[in-house]
Amino acid sequence: MASSNKKINKKDIGKLLNEWSQEFTVFVPSRETGTATMAKWDGKDTSFLDWYRNTVVSPKANILPPMEEMFHFQKDKEGYHIELPPLDGHKQLIFGIRPCDANALAILDMTFNDSYEDPYYLSKRNNTILIGLGCTNPYDSCFCTSLGSSPTDATNVDLMLTDIGDEFLIEAITDKGKELMANISLAEEATEADEAKAKEAREAAYNKVTRQLDIKNIDEKLLASFDNQDYWEKIAAKCISCGICTLLCPTCYCFDINDELLKGQGARFRSLDSCSFPVYTKMPMENPRLEKWRRVRNKVCHKYEFYPMNFDVIACTGCGRCIRLCPVNWDITQTLDIVPAKA
Amino acid sequence: MTVTDISQGKRFLAQGNVYLPHIAVIEKVIDETPGVRTFHFNFKDEKLRAEFTFESGQFGEYSVFGVGEAPFCISSSPTRRDHLEFAVQQVGRVTNALHRLGVGAEIGFRGPYGNSFPMNFLEEKNLIFVAGGIGLAPLRSLIWNVLDNRNKYKKIDIIYGARSPSDLCFKYDLDSWNKDKTVDMVTTVDKGDESWTGREGFVPQVLEQVAPPAQNAVAIVCGPPIMIRFTFPVLGKLGFTPEQMITTLEKRMKCGIGKCGRCNVGNLYVCRDGPVFTYAQIKKFISTEY
Amino acid sequence: MKDGNIEQKLQSEAKALLESGKVDYIIGFEAGSLKFTTTPLITNNIADIDRLVINPFIVNNLSVYLTEVKGRVGIVVKGCDSRSIVTLIQDKQVAREDVVILGVPCPGIIDLSKVERLVGKDRDELDDITRDGDRVVITVDGNETEFPTAEVLFDNCLGCEFPTPKEYDVLLDEFSPLVAGKAASQESLEKLKGMTPEQRWEFWKNEFSRCIRCYACRNICPACFCERCFVEESEPQWISPVPRWQDNLMFQIIRNIHVAGRCTDCGECERACPVNIPLRSLTKEMYDIVDDLFGFKAGMDKEAAPLLTAYALEEAEDFIR
Repeated sequence: MASSNKKINKKDIGKLLNEWSQEFTVFVPSRETGTATMAKWDGKDTSFLDWYRNTVVSPKANILPPMEEMFHFQKDKEGYHIELPPLDGHKQLIFGIRPCDANALAILDMTFNDSYEDPYYLSKRNNTILIGLGCTNPYDSCFCTSLGSSPTDATNVDLMLTDIGDEFLIEAITDKGKELMANISLAEEATEADEAKAKEAREAAYNKVTRQLDIKNIDEKLLASFDNQDYWEKIAAKCISCGICTLLCPTCYCFDINDELLKGQGARFRSLDSCSFPVYTKMPMENPRLEKWRRVRNKVCHKYEFYPMNFDVIACTGCGRCIRLCPVNWDITQTLDIVPAKA
Repeated sequence: MTVTDISQGKRFLAQGNVYLPHIAVIEKVIDETPGVRTFHFNFKDEKLRAEFTFESGQFGEYSVFGVGEAPFCISSSPTRRDHLEFAVQQVGRVTNALHRLGVGAEIGFRGPYGNSFPMNFLEEKNLIFVAGGIGLAPLRSLIWNVLDNRNKYKKIDIIYGARSPSDLCFKYDLDSWNKDKTVDMVTTVDKGDESWTGREGFVPQVLEQVAPPAQNAVAIVCGPPIMIRFTFPVLGKLGFTPEQMITTLEKRMKCGIGKCGRCNVGNLYVCRDGPVFTYAQIKKFISTEY
Repeated sequence: MKDGNIEQKLQSEAKALLESGKVDYIIGFEAGSLKFTTTPLITNNIADIDRLVINPFIVNNLSVYLTEVKGRVGIVVKGCDSRSIVTLIQDKQVAREDVVILGVPCPGIIDLSKVERLVGKDRDELDDITRDGDRVVITVDGNETEFPTAEVLFDNCLGCEFPTPKEYDVLLDEFSPLVAGKAASQESLEKLKGMTPEQRWEFWKNEFSRCIRCYACRNICPACFCERCFVEESEPQWISPVPRWQDNLMFQIIRNIHVAGRCTDCGECERACPVNIPLRSLTKEMYDIVDDLFGFKAGMDKEAAPLLTAYALEEAEDFIR
């Protein structure tokens, strides 16, 4: 039986991206700005295919940017007038998103769709195509396999690419993906041999993820340990309360809202915030999470206890950024390994 | 029933973007205490003025454009629709800016947000309102709501306290509740001054002395966190179950709609799942985080 | 002495300190959870002491924890870290008698980012990195390559003036020879100085455009010990909480001024930055300016007055009296 999948030669990726650029603003992994991010495709550079493992700044930034204008306002003799920035959202295509980061967007969707729809997030999210690229070389900090995923998990992308040597196997996952795949001029039908190679690549990648976290009953254990101050103080001791793990986490979404007065008008912005900062919960008279261990507890429990309580899913995809980028090597897998089973 | 049963699922404001404030105009400013003011306001848009509805316990996000936004409960009763009210203690950037505003000034309002007091659950019950300081603001909306439908409820007790006589808010309400023969009102201050002839003592202690029976009763508590923390055990001693204790919580908030993150008590967001909670809902987390 | 021997000496000293009750806590390094990584170990448990390590990857300036850990503390420090402790003593943040300083003469710390650039591989893809004096052997896929140590040390380690702790209670090894490479250490700074003001402005605009305002630079810095930082003040609001590049740059400029005379050029701000902003180019320039203007190097003498928070009655400037 012929495969319904296709394949494309790696040297044709530049042409493919140019094809897609006709319809979308295409984003690819880039180090141009000085750190690895998803940046606008410059029309030629495909060198990321050689160095790219994952970005430092996750593609969350394409949907929930570090800062964005919510609206601006002006005052005249009739009073205040509010004006929205355009919210239609340009059509963007993110090429090379890793499964962990795509899964993270699916987790973010739950919050931004919940109770009240968030127009800023959803206008971008609904206009975004995700082209997944399976990992062949996960970091030693990665632990996606412990969270029911894998380095080649295609669940939350539109199109999935798997490295099969000189070529990528292309699978269409969503309807949008099918439409895209049908229109790729340089793609060929994938053969059974290609499928076999892809299967091998998936297994190899899976086995390369060596960091393991046992998540069985983790939410129950955390609930039982919520008041175990000794445990949390021990866990929190070396944390410096910076915002790296949260701000760069693909599933962390907390934000702040602030007004600014600019020339001739004012504007309201939202920007990413972090539960690691004491000011995040500071009220004029008191602060419920002034102590560091309470903030660390909130961060861990939000991902592994509260989010499962609210949305039935752990808000962590095992991307490992929080481990990789932490300046004191605070490691959430070590933290969770030693949660006391009972209070 | 639980308090969150009232939550209405997906809710949208008329124009779709939930973050856009409506322009409202301040109509009256009342000095409650040296640091607390009540603002009366109305929407600039007449259609909205006519259509706007809310329930006791809900809150709004109030903007001073160019300075920022802050959440305050709607302190007036939905039974009194002439205007809306909110009370503000001057404590930070936005509240300072609000205190600089006078009659005619424009503010932004979005809401109403959050759940509300479980009116059906309260019917045919004895109600004990326990409030401290500016914590009376949300209860005041409920108290007037209840008094405007007096025959639906049984006995009503109000125990209200403040640090000093000058810190008592809503004195005009206290006067009328004192005069109301269908209400048992106790006012207390932590420490009186020369002219104070009323009761002295902390709210939880006074509650213990008043000792309202728990039978067919609901206690509705709001005040500074320290007061709330000490009031629940007293109610417990008086025989109230955690389901019979209702409170409304205050946290730092930004979005007001369960997204920005910071107001959680455990897995519950005060803005989305509250601000009204039974003690049963929050007791696991509240012991250490509120 | 070999690292292993230093480790043994450290462990026995630390054990003795805890056992005798001379300290309540030991702050040192233990093996990290990633390759070639160490992580701070803060413990009051004697059983943990065997985990203490000394190796070429002990990056952190552990003195940052001193204002936080309660009680008397035994702490492992390198030269620059010990100077940070001295500044904390000068600023009355730490009492000398509450700290037992376990000094490590430091031959320089290996900058994994430099190693990565040198061999074109990420740190987790390397088999081994071993240092033997001024040579470093890096093993990738079983193949060993040798490099001069100076090529893989942090910029601030190159030409380090004070690799051996100035202030200590126990010195865990004999004095370390000075680390060569002063010129290389100033390279990025000289490049910036060679730019026109417009070019420099563009350079920093680009760098600070990617700042995510995580405040890791501030929080990892022992000199940033303020309980309330100006960035979190809202009345008045000194910089916008919105992370636009102008405010990011302003934050860093003000921070740099605040740590002038306290910064020991430990380089932690730059190392901690997750988006590679070359922060040391700012702090080192300030370090040099402080030295030029006042002949002052931070953390040299615990009896000396702090540079910018002390004044003399006969001060020439009116505003300060």
